[in-house]
Amino acid sequence: MAAGASHNDLDRFGIIFRASPRQADVLIVAGTVTKKMAPVVRRVYDQMPEPRYVIAMGSCACSGGIFKTYSTVQGCDDFLPVDVYVPGCPPRPEALIEGLLKLQKKIRSEHGRWGAFR
Amino acid sequence: MAQTLEIIKKQQGEEHWDEPYYVNMGPQHPSTHGVLRLFLELDGETIVRCDPRIGYLHRGVEKLSEHRTYAQAMTLTDRLDYIASAANNVGYCLAVEKLMGLEVPRRAQIIRVIVCEMARIASHLLWLATHALDIGAMTVFLYCFRDREWLLDIFEEICGARLTVSYPRLGGVRLDFTQEIIDELYRFTDEFPRRIPEYETLIDVNRIWLKRTVGVGKVSAEEAINLGLTGPSLRGSGVAYDLRRHQPYLVYDELDFEVAVEYGCDVYSRYRVRMKEMREANKIIRQCLDLLKECEGEPVLAEGAPDLLMPFGKMKAPQAAPHPKRGFVVKGVEVPVVPEGEVYFAIEAPKGELGYYIVSDGTGHPWRVRIRAPSFVHISALPALSEGQMVADIVAVIGSVDIVLGECDR
Amino acid sequence: MLAVEKLQERFPEEIIEVFESAGQTVVVVRREKIVDILNFLHGDVELLFDHLADLTAIDWLGKKTPRFEVVYTLYSIRYKQYLRIKAQVPEDDPRLPSVTSIWKTANWFEREVYDMFGLVFEGHPDLRRLLMPEDWEGYPLRKDYPLFLEPDKEWPVYRELREKARELARFDWYPTLIEHDQAEEVTEEEGHGANA
Repeated sequence: MAAGASHNDLDRFGIIFRASPRQADVLIVAGTVTKKMAPVVRRVYDQMPEPRYVIAMGSCACSGGIFKTYSTVQGCDDFLPVDVYVPGCPPRPEALIEGLLKLQKKIRSEHGRWGAFR
Repeated sequence: MAQTLEIIKKQQGEEHWDEPYYVNMGPQHPSTHGVLRLFLELDGETIVRCDPRIGYLHRGVEKLSEHRTYAQAMTLTDRLDYIASAANNVGYCLAVEKLMGLEVPRRAQIIRVIVCEMARIASHLLWLATHALDIGAMTVFLYCFRDREWLLDIFEEICGARLTVSYPRLGGVRLDFTQEIIDELYRFTDEFPRRIPEYETLIDVNRIWLKRTVGVGKVSAEEAINLGLTGPSLRGSGVAYDLRRHQPYLVYDELDFEVAVEYGCDVYSRYRVRMKEMREANKIIRQCLDLLKECEGEPVLAEGAPDLLMPFGKMKAPQAAPHPKRGFVVKGVEVPVVPEGEVYFAIEAPKGELGYYIVSDGTGHPWRVRIRAPSFVHISALPALSEGQMVADIVAVIGSVDIVLGECDR
Repeated sequence: MLAVEKLQERFPEEIIEVFESAGQTVVVVRREKIVDILNFLHGDVELLFDHLADLTAIDWLGKKTPRFEVVYTLYSIRYKQYLRIKAQVPEDDPRLPSVTSIWKTANWFEREVYDMFGLVFEGHPDLRRLLMPEDWEGYPLRKDYPLFLEPDKEWPVYRELREKARELARFDWYPTLIEHDQAEEVTEEEGHGANA
């Protein structure tokens, strides 16, 4: 949240938060994903129109973090294809911004991923 | 219009006309703070029944802490109320120290109070930002984050981490304050009382704010106690129950501060309680900084405190005989052993009464760690606060009751 | 303590033990008349324990019989004192009466105890799982429940989600999910660093 607020402003990168997945390009999975929540996250991902990207933010979303228990998914890449991993517990706003910039670089270097001419 | 209604009634049959409408404010929603799922039964726009469903962030912290030592479990408590994590840590350390009978040096106690109150201000700023954002005031969000960034920078200076600080240790705190931190805190406490009116001028007497918050989410004092509300949510209904005054811990009995109580019983009075608490927290930090000057150069970690380095990985059976005073030695590092017994210790966290119930069986691992989270109880009180109100009001009520799902689900 | 004396006077046969731990008084009672005991403590003018701070349970597998203990932490706002009541619940009959008639906050506390330990509260208006998904099997906080589930004992909904995700991943550009599976197989053979 701090990445979107006053000191580190995401708006200047052209990134705004949308309330609905149908209007979004990037899904940021922030925080621990539990097994109860996993179908919900997958459904949100499925609702996004292509081209769509996923950022796993935080150690718990990348790999389960310190919570190796019966109810935690060990990394949201178990059921979602993730493009950028931003580690940290919690990641600094600057780290999230770097993750988003890396995603922008990745998108620029992609060719043919979403269709013949994209 | 009336003719259309007639036709519709005839087409649908009378018995289908009064069916309730079910809305699922799902786990992924911009204005439920975290993954809270509200199952609402609506009659038009009025809520007939509200059924909160939680568990989408249940990480098994209580079970996990049974497999960790006492010092390792402290890092788990950080992630409960991740907005004011210093308060969670302090509560856990106080509970274990009470069970161990460990005496914390005075300087460490004062530093713990400072860190707790900083966490309180940070938590209330975030509360105000998100509460106002949900109701529609976006400028307040940006203003509050500006001051919160200042606090988080001070936290980073103190212990290296902005949010999940694991700063206290069993027996004191990790590192002493440097002179720069103290100067920065003096600057903060000077400047902050001038910032609070900036937020208040935006919303305090704003007609829209008043219309959306006055008279919404009313709960009387007896019902609030019966529902288990604590903290600012209870003090907004006129009950002066503040654990810093009722069961003073650390150095709160030496400090001079007022307990914020309002008698309106609605969302607006809870807002006023938290604004006053921010001012009082600022006062407390100021007094503690003056108290710190008196105990310069004292240690911040108790003599009998367990070793700072704790072994990681699976805990196997102890490889040496238990040391008579300190306890088990595992992988060459002493693990704190807590005598058999149990303790319930509650502190006044920013959200309410955060209680730790720790049962020890005399080894280096706790037998049971139970975290009584205020958000858990407040979400269970949501149906009583919101039934009969409109759907838009429930957003205001959730905001006023200040929940964090990390704490609720553990 | 006044509360303990009054309890001993009023319910002498129900009390099993009274002890002090870390300066706090604990009273261990039998579970049958727990509602009467708590009602008395809630309503009595000189005690007035109106705030139910916490309701939880402990599993004493292997250490004590009876196996479970339900712990009620009470606080009196007027007289500023704590009291803890523990009701013993045996393993073969994990039921006890519910106190939702006295405190409304006990509703969710008891649901959580049912969810985590499997103790059934009679008279509870709506006893269903709270933190775990509704069709979860097993009671997680019991001592014989593993901390980390084996892959073959996974929750069926999550297992289906994983398989579905693998199916859909065949149409993805980057084979991240397939690589993830292959990476997992490798680490399981060698042994993960920290957990070896």
